[in-house]
Amino acid sequence: MSPQTAIIGLDGVPVNLLKTLAKKGTMPHMEELLKQGTLTKMRSSLPANSASSWSSMITGTNPGTHGVYGFTEFIPGTYTISFHSSKKLKAKPFWLTTKGKTLVINLPAAYPAQPLNGTMITGFVSPQLYKAVYPLEHLPWLKENGYQIDVDASLFKASIPLFLRKLEETLTHRIKALDHLMKQSYETLFFVVTGTDRIEHYLWDAYTNPEHMHSQGFHEFFNKVDQVIGHITSKLDPETPLMMLSDHGMGPIDKAFNLNTLLRQEGYLFTGDIPRKNFNNIKEATVAFASESSKIFLNHKGKYPRGSVNPRDVEQLQDEIVDILYGLRYDNRKVVKNVYLKQEIFTGPETENAPDLVVIPQPGFSVKTGLFKNTLFEDDFLKGTHTEDDAFLYLKGFQEKLINPSIEDAIHIFKNQIGEN
Amino acid sequence: MQHNEEKTCWNCPAAMLKGNVDFRACGQSIESIKNKISEEGLLIECSRRPELGMFEPNITFEQCPEWIETEYGYLLKDMRVMILGIDGYLGWTLALKLAKLGCKVSGIDNFLRREAVAEKRSKSVVRIADIATRLRTAKKEHGVDIDFREMDLLNREQLAKYLDEIQPEAIVHYGEIPSAPYSMVDAEHAIKTQHNNTLGTLGVLFLIKEHCPEANILKLGTMGEYGTPLTGRPIFEGLFPADAVLTWRGQEWSMGGELTPRDPASFYHVSKVQDTFNVYEACKYWWLRSYDVMQGVIFGVHTKEVAKHPDLRTRLDVDEWFGTVINRFVSQAVLGIPLTIYGSGEQIRGYLALEDAMECMVRLLSSPPEPGQYDVVNQLSQLYKVKELAEIVAKVGSEKHGLTVRIQRVENPRVEADEHPFLVVAKKLRESLGYQPKTPLEVEIDRMFTLLLQSETRERLESVKDSVFAQTWWNGDHRETMTLEVYEPGTRKIEGYDPNLVISDMED
Repeated sequence: MSPQTAIIGLDGVPVNLLKTLAKKGTMPHMEELLKQGTLTKMRSSLPANSASSWSSMITGTNPGTHGVYGFTEFIPGTYTISFHSSKKLKAKPFWLTTKGKTLVINLPAAYPAQPLNGTMITGFVSPQLYKAVYPLEHLPWLKENGYQIDVDASLFKASIPLFLRKLEETLTHRIKALDHLMKQSYETLFFVVTGTDRIEHYLWDAYTNPEHMHSQGFHEFFNKVDQVIGHITSKLDPETPLMMLSDHGMGPIDKAFNLNTLLRQEGYLFTGDIPRKNFNNIKEATVAFASESSKIFLNHKGKYPRGSVNPRDVEQLQDEIVDILYGLRYDNRKVVKNVYLKQEIFTGPETENAPDLVVIPQPGFSVKTGLFKNTLFEDDFLKGTHTEDDAFLYLKGFQEKLINPSIEDAIHIFKNQIGEN
Repeated sequence: MQHNEEKTCWNCPAAMLKGNVDFRACGQSIESIKNKISEEGLLIECSRRPELGMFEPNITFEQCPEWIETEYGYLLKDMRVMILGIDGYLGWTLALKLAKLGCKVSGIDNFLRREAVAEKRSKSVVRIADIATRLRTAKKEHGVDIDFREMDLLNREQLAKYLDEIQPEAIVHYGEIPSAPYSMVDAEHAIKTQHNNTLGTLGVLFLIKEHCPEANILKLGTMGEYGTPLTGRPIFEGLFPADAVLTWRGQEWSMGGELTPRDPASFYHVSKVQDTFNVYEACKYWWLRSYDVMQGVIFGVHTKEVAKHPDLRTRLDVDEWFGTVINRFVSQAVLGIPLTIYGSGEQIRGYLALEDAMECMVRLLSSPPEPGQYDVVNQLSQLYKVKELAEIVAKVGSEKHGLTVRIQRVENPRVEADEHPFLVVAKKLRESLGYQPKTPLEVEIDRMFTLLLQSETRERLESVKDSVFAQTWWNGDHRETMTLEVYEPGTRKIEGYDPNLVISDMED
């Protein structure tokens, strides 16, 4: 029996890329689907990273409620970074609040797999396959059939053709797993393609420049993604509601900008010389420091071991840092597009651990948060960086339409459709 | 400030590095994504705080709620410590101390020490209870549960099961035959010592690798591994310091970090040196972590835990095989035998009281080395000449207990330098681990006299009188040593080389 609703995620795919590749013929199935449904631009979560955005998507809540601001967070009372775990998700994902069995394949930031009515194979980052699968009865088949969670990104440096081949192989194995698991019946199918995010990070220039030596490889991969979309839709009844979406968009990088270097130069960040280059080097004089995904944290007294910022000074310090960021120039270009304050964008019981500011760079800039970089600007090895305002939402067979949706809205449409909201 | 407050997960046995770190690639993470998140390219999990998921190994002991502040620094809450040789002089004493500190103490013993002392037709002059009584009394008097299994550490199958059951976070390895003369009796005793000590330890290392690779291994070595170099070159703490240089034919080479020379003085000491290499290699091959504790000569009977009840007392041996020098001097003084000095009595050794030794061990447990780190500490409080010790024992015996004590020089049955320079570095425990000796020599000697002069102890001492005299010669002879001279305390000068103990960088 085919599922009653299907969701396909394309990690990191911006709306324009999808339109362009459909129009160009790289994605013929997508072109056909665009005729049958509606495609809209969608706002990602802030900050725009897969952990935070997919958590917003599956729970239908703001990071201030589900508590996930990225793949990392600071362990309370320390400057130690911990990695995201599904156990830390503070809001319920939709499959725990809807009836029927759900098949989830390759959902990022869902590791380790938690029990559900259905089947779960988590997506990146999942260090060990046996913890990525629920129920474990599926593990032997996945192992025997060469299922891979993700491509080893370090391959890119070794050999780009090999990297592309592995991306495709991984996707092939994922579809094989889908076919195998679909022998059982599920009410909801949720399948995510993550190779899209990977290839865009490394080869965005191959998308924008037709002369790029890997332009063909880039298009071939998206053609493969399109075949996967075609394969999945062929398994659905024509009337089955289909949702497709991305968690964030992607844009080009000309220059990387080191956020902590700026904070240090402006006298907000002071670091010591502990040989291990981690955040334990933060000194008491520090006012603010940045971590992964353009997040700035004030060094709150009582929250961090050497915290020095009093609650009464928070707003003034936020304003000062906002001014500095908006004033930043590179080659006479503005570097920062937006700076959001914690109180503007996060709502819910988990805002305590939220970053105090979230920085959105201008197109062409990426943000880095290494603690010990000396130069403010540098070249970025990556070619594509996340964008927050141009994810996509595609709906086919849904009664509801959305204007200017954000990623938190998607699951409510789904629940309304199946009558469980 | 606590000595270990800035130590991090790197030093914590609860940090699960195995499976998360590809050690063969020297700290490279398995998942390349980790490189993006952690500047060191490495994330771990915590066996005690699974809710943290994967994280950088840099939570400090001060920041971590699993590390509790004690008078010895931060100590891992309910730390699971397994003591190999828990029934021995040190093992039992440490078991009680750790259990009182809140550690979950377990241990094995095959009572080899009790048997070996009996073989010499001797016994502990302080009456000691059997292990069942000891455990029961520990529960009653201190409210602590110590988990004991009778087991030979050479029985790897049994020990493997026990390690799996306990999952120790620290292992204190006292399970060795601790006697130079015993190893020099004959081939059988030499082989037994080396078999038990060297092969036993080697087997234990394999088991730790398989069953609890994160455990902090406190391996008991001895200052006797180093010997007494006649050039007077410094006895460093196992490894050459960073600024040590070898000069030869006008060229210079750094010796920093290399093992220092060993020059053992008996087949027992050889077994300890072999252990040193085996532990060193295991740390290198398998990323085990260990302190090799180069312990000086222990003396005394007192800790507040063993003193609480007669059935909690630890053993005190005075026979020629297992009695250490100060313990033997005190017993000789009580028996009215002139204190026996071998040769000139100018031999210099490092010493520390039982109570202080136990504190050192707790401090070492509180500050585990990093994975793969083999570290060495020279564990001693002070250097003395044997002759000098005899004078101090005689003084305490006569002044505080009204005994008439004389001293005799006898032939030296050992092959050792009677007179030698001795420059010993013992900085780590003091500088890095916050240790300060607390028990003055005279105080502990006084305590020993008080205990040994009690009628029950004194009777036991009388009954093993014959075992006190040295009869085991390093050249293979078995005969009593002849007396060279008998003299009154205070009538001989302390001559020759001055002991030289370096306890801080300031003195370098």
